Amino acid sequence: MTDDKDVLRDVWFGRIPTCFTLYQDEITEREAEPYYLLLPRVSYLTLVTDKVKKHFQKVMRQEDISEIWFEYEGTPLKWHYPIGLLFDLLASSSALPWNITVHFKSFPEKDLLHCPSKDAIEAHFMSCVKEADALKHKSQVINEMQKKDHKQLWMGLQNDRFDQFWAINRKLMEYPAEENGFRYIPFRIYQKIIKFLCSKGCEKEGALSMLKSYFIF
Amino acid sequence: MAEEPESALQLPPSSTTDGEGPTEVSPETATPEPPSSAAVSPGTEEPAGDTKKKIDVLLKAVGDTPIMKTKKWAVERTRTIQGLIDFIKKFLKLVASEQLFIYVNQSFAPSPDQEVGTLYECFGSDGKLVLHYCKSQAWG
Repeated sequence: MTDDKDVLRDVWFGRIPTCFTLYQDEITEREAEPYYLLLPRVSYLTLVTDKVKKHFQKVMRQEDISEIWFEYEGTPLKWHYPIGLLFDLLASSSALPWNITVHFKSFPEKDLLHCPSKDAIEAHFMSCVKEADALKHKSQVINEMQKKDHKQLWMGLQNDRFDQFWAINRKLMEYPAEENGFRYIPFRIYQKIIKFLCSKGCEKEGALSMLKSYFIF
Repeated sequence: MAEEPESALQLPPSSTTDGEGPTEVSPETATPEPPSSAAVSPGTEEPAGDTKKKIDVLLKAVGDTPIMKTKKWAVERTRTIQGLIDFIKKFLKLVASEQLFIYVNQSFAPSPDQEVGTLYECFGSDGKLVLHYCKSQAWG
């Protein structure tokens, strides 16, 4: 793991320059200027956009404001996906900055989960970590940790503290010397739906050979 | 987990039915659907020997949460956790505003948009997926 420290830092400190613009149909008392922010790839939209919310709410009346949500080119952005994933999936081929539209009305119930508080983000994040460890270590490592270790993991992410985060996360990334690796490697593949003509056969081969090229079995 | 097409990635209100609801599994026979004839006919969705479209789910109540009379259900693979939550709430006659949490392995709560089929693949055992449900957050 120490050899990978540079890579780990590069991943952690990845940023996406983003321009937030208020949706044109929102009711404002005066003109809303766009707001620029560098978004951390490893974090979640609703965790890092307090300043964005404050900026736009300054020009709106309280009665016109309900739950904030974000959209890119008509697609509501799922806050429970990491920011880097959202960008790679939807906007990586577009020019920077990433242009996100901010809404305070008409929450799209069918597309997005509600984010009632920071606690909801923490619960989601910790569940993901626990799910991964269930596959890696049969949940042994995460369950042997104390509540304060779990809290440190979350606070490290929330406050952008690489060392604080990795002091705990490295235990989740280790395995006993006698094993050759994790019990199972947890990963998720997100695909853009691109419709193209291809037989069932070549589709499968393509996906399988791609996976094989990423992992050494 | 592959991205689902927009129409399927819903958190539908409990009144809608996106396909069949879960069906009850009779106590004596939890027989899987017969394998499709994909082995014989080309161009079908599932290749030969692929598993059934529904998976068996065993629901266990936690704490003082009401216990469901029927605990074993055959659920479509593509049903989301949110869909299952809505189903259980309706079955237990819970108010819409009451919360219900579902846990896998008595340790983590999967995201509401996760499909039970995927969870079964990763965490199923003995041919079923065991899920614990609770009105409060049992395992954080």
